[in-house]
Amino acid sequence: MIDIKKIEKNIADKHAELHEHVKSGAKFEKLYPLFEAQDTFLLTPPDTTEGMTHVRDAVDLKRVMFTVVVALIPCLLWGIFNAGHQYYHFSGIEAGMFSKIMRGTWIVMPIVFVSYLVGGLWEVLFAIVRKHEINEGFLVTGMLFPLTLPPTVPLWQVAVGISFGVVVAKEVFGGTGFNILNVALTSRAYLYFAHAKDHSGEVWAASADGATGATPLGMGASYGAQGQDVVASLADNGHTFWSMFGGLEPGSIGETSAIPIMIGAAILILTGVGSWKIIAGGCVGLLFAGLLMNFMPTSGTVDGEMVQLTTWTQIPFFYHFVMGSFLFGIVFMATDPVSAASTDLGKWIYGALIGVVTVLVRVTNPGFAEGVMLAILFMNVMAPIIDYYVVQGHIKKRNANLRKFSYAKG
Amino acid sequence: MSAEIKIKKGLDLPMLGAPSEEIRQLNSSGTRSVYPGEFAREKFKCLVEEGDSVIRGGVLARGKRIDGFKVRSPISGTVKEVRLGARRSLAEIVIEPNGSEEVEKFTSFTVDGLLKASKDEILSVLADTGFLGFIRQRPFSRIADPEATPKSIFVNGMASAPFRPDAHVLIQGKADDLQVGLNALTRLTDGPVHLNLAAEAKDKNDALTQAANVQVNYFSGPHPSGNTSTHIHYLDPIVPEDVVWTLRVSDVLRIGELLRTGVYPNRQRILIAGEGAKEDFRGYFDVDTGADLSEIIDPACAEGDQRVIRGDVLAGEAVDTASSGVFMYDQGFVLLPEDTERTLMGWYAPTTEQYSAHKVVPSNWIKDKLFHFGTNTRGSKRAMVLTGIYDNYTPLDLLVDPLSRACIAGETEDAIAMGILETDPEDFALCTFVCPSKTDFGSIISNTLASIEEEGI
Repeated sequence: MIDIKKIEKNIADKHAELHEHVKSGAKFEKLYPLFEAQDTFLLTPPDTTEGMTHVRDAVDLKRVMFTVVVALIPCLLWGIFNAGHQYYHFSGIEAGMFSKIMRGTWIVMPIVFVSYLVGGLWEVLFAIVRKHEINEGFLVTGMLFPLTLPPTVPLWQVAVGISFGVVVAKEVFGGTGFNILNVALTSRAYLYFAHAKDHSGEVWAASADGATGATPLGMGASYGAQGQDVVASLADNGHTFWSMFGGLEPGSIGETSAIPIMIGAAILILTGVGSWKIIAGGCVGLLFAGLLMNFMPTSGTVDGEMVQLTTWTQIPFFYHFVMGSFLFGIVFMATDPVSAASTDLGKWIYGALIGVVTVLVRVTNPGFAEGVMLAILFMNVMAPIIDYYVVQGHIKKRNANLRKFSYAKG
Repeated sequence: MSAEIKIKKGLDLPMLGAPSEEIRQLNSSGTRSVYPGEFAREKFKCLVEEGDSVIRGGVLARGKRIDGFKVRSPISGTVKEVRLGARRSLAEIVIEPNGSEEVEKFTSFTVDGLLKASKDEILSVLADTGFLGFIRQRPFSRIADPEATPKSIFVNGMASAPFRPDAHVLIQGKADDLQVGLNALTRLTDGPVHLNLAAEAKDKNDALTQAANVQVNYFSGPHPSGNTSTHIHYLDPIVPEDVVWTLRVSDVLRIGELLRTGVYPNRQRILIAGEGAKEDFRGYFDVDTGADLSEIIDPACAEGDQRVIRGDVLAGEAVDTASSGVFMYDQGFVLLPEDTERTLMGWYAPTTEQYSAHKVVPSNWIKDKLFHFGTNTRGSKRAMVLTGIYDNYTPLDLLVDPLSRACIAGETEDAIAMGILETDPEDFALCTFVCPSKTDFGSIISNTLASIEEEGI
């Protein structure tokens, strides 16, 4: 039987010794954030409460953040399997389950590793220079980012992307809790625009002969532009609603299948870590906008001449759910509480507008294959404005209530 | 007319260490102290010197801001020491009792006589004896300003926070004092006097439920259903420029005793509770005002390091029993074990032993269990990240996230618009408790209230 108490005591003693070297005024005081991070990782802090409230809940930010990482694990596992599957599929080699998993691990894990390593280095560097603690928020960013990338992404791009996100989207604002944009998504957007040719929605094209390797979303847009029946053309290529729901499809690592994402959503909602209001709002917005698009004309006249318009608008609204990264984005990215709206009503509006903007970008803008990334980033920027108006409305309602009271009293 | 209000938002902490309802008598043998500092925001001039002799009810100091406000001695004896605190404020006057029974007599009233007394008459007795300190004024929870006209008066007879004393035990044997005190309050306002009680106590046929000349209201639901701010918000909310006065039942009893007998009361009932107290010491005690805490609390402390909290675990102040005594305003102490224990990987271990209001901690799934609580922060301080959880813990019409942000940013006008004047720091104690980033909302709110009070609304 392992004596936990003894281990705890040993670690505590070692840490007390180590603390002497990093405490303020000591030789290695600059390394204190590193000490604090590993100290409070191994053992809960011995701090006691100050101020008027003397007891605290057992929850802390480490637990909250790590729960998001746990919720991402089904997506990661699926991503690993799917990467292996797609690799063999496009290489034209028959392979068994085991080979697919091994190959997938070989493809995906280095991406995750580089993301954590490079992002972690920046986090630590800033913690030391800016003298703030190493925030657990990084655990989430480091995992979210790789899952938004295509499995074929070069590792140097992973390093550049996460560096951009951590430094420009987060640390220049003061670290986790102060950022305006979702960090992982900013990293993703940076790669999307800076290295567009590797992120065009054609994932496996480089590794396969003949097969296009395009994602269903990318295909759909181009079929639409050619005026074809999008649903039928997708089905000809093997992409039906249920195949896209199941997710054995080319795409970014974590987003192809709805099933692991829904497991993750269930974990986030049941533990209260992710806001169900944002997720529900997003789904409503997406359905509404998707449905509205169905009423768009497929042809029109320009200068008296009939022109064929895209039929991309005509896909059944529920297709939007399973195509591209919408579900992944709304469950894991939009619910990031730091960059989302903070009021209850604000969360509904914020979520709904992400859904609407996603469809708008997808359908009406032929330049971008996927809309959810831009929709979330755009709404990140808008979130404070939404909150502002919700608060103003609240104040108005409050005052009206108070006036009612003072009139009632004469 | 009486109101019944059901509160839905909030949280009852399932804490071990509940007290019994037994009332015991404790007599102190040592010195008695008076602590003018307990009357926050008033400044005092000391009128006695070391060696002076005083009688019970004799003047020790006078207030500099409120006209005629005096601090008096709870016992006859000799002034042993005058202690000054920060910025030479009067912190403590120590009196060595001499056993004399001599008392200073004040105007006394009958229950019915009070109903004809004037506001000024009553207020002048209260100011003259220092008992005005029992009446607090909202906004800002400061000592009532005798010049102000409160639109209503709220008496709190509830204890929804863990281990606040039960008003129904406090009044045992003091039913007369209660009605005298309430009658006096009815003369201080043109509006109603609200006596707010817990709905569960509705069929307790005692002096509280039967109180006359006041409006008896019942509140049910989780804490903070028993907080005065909650009562005010639902019955007569504070509109800017409104003033309401607030008291607790224990305060009404003390005022009632003074007005009924005309003699300066020097005994008060306090509650000692919490897991840090020995089991047979958890209960109610009648103690001497100003007695040393070491004499009263120390024998009750269980083994180990205990934190002594004046007030309760949600809104209280840690005190050192060696250097403090029983304040006039005290009605209870909670003893809480100091907890500096470090557990391996405790931040994600699926604990069932430490209570959490969040579903992400497995202990939350266990229903009807009482938990050990300690002083540990249960995690490190971080920037505020999770949003939207705090509003579930306040029944007031507030948006806690934007309000606290306005306070942190020093935007006092926004904070006022969002309703900060309706609140007291204790209303945010549950937000502090549940915050995963370990934010102290109490100090954020109290700092802002203090600066609003200083600048004027």
